[in-house]
Amino acid sequence: MAKLPHDDIYQLVREPIDMAALARHVRAPDDGAMVIFDGFVRNQSHNRPTLYLDYEAYESMALAKMREIGAQLHEKYRIHRVSVVHRLGRLEVGETSVFIAVSAPHRAAAFDACRFAIDTLKRTVPIWKKEYFEDGAVWADGELPPAPAATPRAKPAS
Amino acid sequence: MLKPVPLAPSSSAGYNSPVPPVSQTIRVTVLFFGRLKELTGHPEHSIEFTDAPTIEHLFALYAARHPELAKYRSSVVASRNQEFAAWDTPLRSGDEVAFLPPVSGG
Repeated sequence: MAKLPHDDIYQLVREPIDMAALARHVRAPDDGAMVIFDGFVRNQSHNRPTLYLDYEAYESMALAKMREIGAQLHEKYRIHRVSVVHRLGRLEVGETSVFIAVSAPHRAAAFDACRFAIDTLKRTVPIWKKEYFEDGAVWADGELPPAPAATPRAKPAS
Repeated sequence: MLKPVPLAPSSSAGYNSPVPPVSQTIRVTVLFFGRLKELTGHPEHSIEFTDAPTIEHLFALYAARHPELAKYRSSVVASRNQEFAAWDTPLRSGDEVAFLPPVSGG
């Protein structure tokens, strides 16, 4: 995997995400733009009022996948700094579950990279949410991450 | 056929039989998440094999114990050592395998 700039931030947290502090960190003097994605808990799901959500993760793999996304961003787009933070545990309606900020010299790269980051996160990072309603709870419909169909036969032992 | 090795030493070798060849034991950590964790009742298992299993074998073993698991087979992806892996991936001792339902972060 490509090396990540040391000042990027990739975290799983259990406390409220400090968006202002992360934004200050990502927003550097030699940039001209920063795009922020703030994903937060909706008050309903399929028209059922949501009480709260509970997030869990395969933490070691989730962090590795978040860092992988960061490496892809730096490879694909002319950006400067990245911050990707996902919160776990119980989250109330309106609370931020995922925060992504990308800074860049120019806005187009920051927009594109931020969009790529959240789309890829939702498809590939092993995090799950359970939705709690008045009358029960369900695991949210998710996306099946793309996985290799079969192992290459002639793979050397490593 | 796959059989988990009992954790207690086996005494099946008859007397007068030579010391049986030590078959290599493969120990794998298995993790379940989301609804799969609820189905199996445990987030984390450690399991031993005498022959190297594939991820598919491992899943079949748990599906035999928890029949409800089998119906999720087509909506599960597996990982080996924190990388998404094909079902026919052979396992080595020390591997960490996880069975992951569709992800819903964000």
